[in-house]
Amino acid sequence: MMQENEGASLVLRQIGVKSNSLLAPFHTLTEIRKNRFLVRNLVRREVRARYRNAALGYAWTVLEPALLASVYWFLFIMLSGNPDKMYAVWVLIGVIVWGCFSKSLNAATNSLTRNVRTMHLVYFPRSIFPVSGVGANLVVTLMSCMVIIPIIYIYDLPVTLHLLWVPIGVFMAGFMALGFGMMMAPLNCVQRDVQHLIRFITRAGFFVSPVMWTAEMAMERGAWGEAALWNPMVLPITMVRHGLEGKMVELPSAVILSSVVVAIAIYVVGTIVFSKYERGAVKYL
Amino acid sequence: MTDTSIQLEGITLHFPKQRNIFGIVADFFKKKERKFTALSGIDLEIKQGEVIGIIGRNGSGKSTLLRVISGIYPPDEGEVYAAGDISLLAGLGTGFSAHQTGRENALLYGSILGHGEMEMRSKLEEIIDFSELGSFIDEPLRTYSAGMKARLGLAVASAINPNILLIDEVLGVGDPNFREKSKKKILDMVKGASTVVIVSHSFGLMTDICDRVVLLDHGKIVTQGDPQDSIKAYYDLEG
Repeated sequence: MMQENEGASLVLRQIGVKSNSLLAPFHTLTEIRKNRFLVRNLVRREVRARYRNAALGYAWTVLEPALLASVYWFLFIMLSGNPDKMYAVWVLIGVIVWGCFSKSLNAATNSLTRNVRTMHLVYFPRSIFPVSGVGANLVVTLMSCMVIIPIIYIYDLPVTLHLLWVPIGVFMAGFMALGFGMMMAPLNCVQRDVQHLIRFITRAGFFVSPVMWTAEMAMERGAWGEAALWNPMVLPITMVRHGLEGKMVELPSAVILSSVVVAIAIYVVGTIVFSKYERGAVKYL
Repeated sequence: MTDTSIQLEGITLHFPKQRNIFGIVADFFKKKERKFTALSGIDLEIKQGEVIGIIGRNGSGKSTLLRVISGIYPPDEGEVYAAGDISLLAGLGTGFSAHQTGRENALLYGSILGHGEMEMRSKLEEIIDFSELGSFIDEPLRTYSAGMKARLGLAVASAINPNILLIDEVLGVGDPNFREKSKKKILDMVKGASTVVIVSHSFGLMTDICDRVVLLDHGKIVTQGDPQDSIKAYYDLEG
């Protein structure tokens, strides 16, 4: 990044040597840290581009999930009627956190194919592309989360340290999307079928994740409901909901543990797959 | 300390061909993979301080070779070695964002080219001066003309002093006035860098500044040596 001291220590080094793929989970973190200025600029470019020329600008980060949630809320009342008064809020939270996951996953999956031009003209660690794609969605989601301020006021919720679960839950959703997306991105360079498949998965996943339902509802539904809790997206969404309510995450500890393990495993496998295949995949672009 | 700056040993590079489902099935039965060989068996040693030109027809592998040196494509066979930091000057203004100001874009492009924040902030005024954009620098990029974008791109790209400079056809942007200035700037960069590899079709320039010119055809080195001789070989090849 910084200029090397000139002349004196110019030693021939091999270009394009692969570091050990198994260390990729750590290398990725180092690469992010080393290129943080670049990541910051790419995230800013993405966020700016998304809300360009809009009179309401960044207000859309809140408006979009709010409008979506009101439609789902209406739908739910039509279907089952008479939910509890917080239900609309839980749907809104579900929409925001799930949206963070699905948009991040799509962004990471398409990150290499979308940046062909840049990749053909400069070299920097390619993990920067999925990372900044996910980063942009995290920024947007955290802006959406501003909506909890009026909610706390309207529903008279306690302001406690548990509110910290809100950003933690959002990060966890983004983190899983990053791992999964990094697994898919090189494959997507070879066959674009992957991006269509991922788009389908994010749409279908909406229903099997607690967006329109909550973990509490699932637990009342017997065996099938309990099976649904093993979906690793239950934890981040529930984290945000319970944090907002001002309490610890109330899920069976086996579910919490398995979700955390799955999230880390996805990241580890994702970064390894990415570092192993990214170089070959770029030739397909 | 060596005096070799870039060393290519038997570089071969294939590009896979995109296939649809029928292609995949057909290839599976034929048991062969279809691919395009962009570079085959390139051996090249470049000393420190040398200015090397690469010429060849369209599709002969010139740009691909620069991309291999800069690490964009890993070679399928052979090894690449280089001493010092490398900078590829190609497609000025990659990654520009139409919705941000010239100033923000300068920082963005600088970071894409691999510069740290301190470095970019310290060079920003110099870059803005060179780009001659004046008060336009704080306007969004979508209001810029093509020439203005090119000027900003060159201003950022030329604010660096790499050990190895790879140039891919970036001469001749902007109005005649700026073109002169940019040519001069690039020549300054050529002098400042210890090693330069240029891909260009302007043979006049090549004869002026290159110590050696390499002629590529179909991914192979046809000849290399004195610029005049290589250029003559190029015309012979054209037939």
